[in-house]
Amino acid sequence: MVQRRVVITGIGVVSPYGNGVPALIEGIEKGRSTIRRMEGWDQFGGLKSHVGAPAELTNEKRIPRQKRRSMGRIGLFAAQAAEEALADSGLTVPERSWRTGCIIGSTIGSTKSLNDAFEIILKDKDIGLINSTTVFQCMSHTAASNVAQYLGLNGYIMATSAACASSLHAIGTGYDLIRLGRQDFLLCGGADELHPIVTGSFDALFATSTKYNDSPTMTPRPFDRDRDGLVCGEGSGVVVLEDYEKAVSRNAKIYAEITGFSTTGSGSHISQSDRESMVYCMKSALGDARVSPNDVDYVNAHATATLQGDQEEAEAIREVFGSAIPVSAFKGYIGHTLGAAGVIELIATLVMMEKGVIYPTLNLENVSHECEGLDHVMKPRNSELNVILKNGFAFGGISAALVCKNVKIQEK
Amino acid sequence: MTKQEIIEKVNKVFEESFEIEKDRLLPEANIFLDLGLDSLDIVDLMVALQKSFEVNLRNEESIRNIRTLEDIYKFILEFQERKKGQSNP
Repeated sequence: MVQRRVVITGIGVVSPYGNGVPALIEGIEKGRSTIRRMEGWDQFGGLKSHVGAPAELTNEKRIPRQKRRSMGRIGLFAAQAAEEALADSGLTVPERSWRTGCIIGSTIGSTKSLNDAFEIILKDKDIGLINSTTVFQCMSHTAASNVAQYLGLNGYIMATSAACASSLHAIGTGYDLIRLGRQDFLLCGGADELHPIVTGSFDALFATSTKYNDSPTMTPRPFDRDRDGLVCGEGSGVVVLEDYEKAVSRNAKIYAEITGFSTTGSGSHISQSDRESMVYCMKSALGDARVSPNDVDYVNAHATATLQGDQEEAEAIREVFGSAIPVSAFKGYIGHTLGAAGVIELIATLVMMEKGVIYPTLNLENVSHECEGLDHVMKPRNSELNVILKNGFAFGGISAALVCKNVKIQEK
Repeated sequence: MTKQEIIEKVNKVFEESFEIEKDRLLPEANIFLDLGLDSLDIVDLMVALQKSFEVNLRNEESIRNIRTLEDIYKFILEFQERKKGQSNP
């Protein structure tokens, strides 16, 4: 069976830097942290981490009310990111196109909407004051279905809910659907929200950063000696995937070709990172891409800055690629955007491929000894990036890895 | 509550919940055809009216007959009169 080649032809982001890819890239290039102390979080007893990377909603009223009313923050972030990605791709969605869809994942539905709904319901144990659209903001496929409604998509509408691996799962699934010829165009990505309940769920497991509440820009610190846990962020990222031949025929800008994907389960522990399944996942993605570890120019790490997670990932990358592989991670800039993390960080990596530069790991000052043995990129570096691998790991023992290749101009 | 007070409260719901400009809120305006509300909006209209007037309307069958803003004003007015009658036998 002949498989189609799959390329990325559009990118869109809402991040703690604001709306749009340019804001994300400008923020990263300036080395500016978006982490801040969260006002009001000290009222939650037991919550030790008071830092986060919030994204501000802007211009959301541009979305017509009857499309907007079913969107919680997740839906709004995803709609704006998808709109930017679609415009960037130059595509217009034809009416009743059954072969154009979207796959957008998130950890859960809108946390704020869920919280607000339960506050109303539990106050008097009465559902009589719940709005008609609350369910559409709270359901787990809120991002995908709202984007589909907003943009008028009629093809596959799917939500990949795998916490912090959600968006890589979405892109990996989209890659399969297009290469198998089941869909022609797919908007793929993820979205998630910052909320004290979200940070609290990590905080309860002692996975959050707690020592930097008074110096928020110093955390998270991926791979650093003084890292103490993750910091939650929020936003959305969406990429447009399409068949290479179609992209070339319409003279689209091609950011990269997706050449490999894999996902694995640890099958051993619900929260602990597992080096062995990470290693298999990366090797399997490289196998799918038909490249060897030596062909890879850069790894964009998941690296949430937890003590164990960073160690396991560093060891896994070292085992697969050896010590010469350049590695950096972006959570020091925008926190852990959870279901959006994989795709937002991939988009920044795509821009790096375009510019021939590697953005460094913010807040990595002293590499922790257990994370040593890699080429940690600690300041901006010019480098031609032909093949990259993007990691994403999640609660539930899930690993995901995506391989992208720079499509050279002469190939077009 | 006077009819004028009811009109003001109902119109405020339309301005805030459905983002409809004040000058379009004419008594004869059909809430579906002229103001663009749909089936989901009707659920939200009921919730908003319940909050605004602090009443429970979920079992009111006659709410299904509402077509215009004037219908809503009359519905609230009659509901109010009926409740007053029930509490003062």
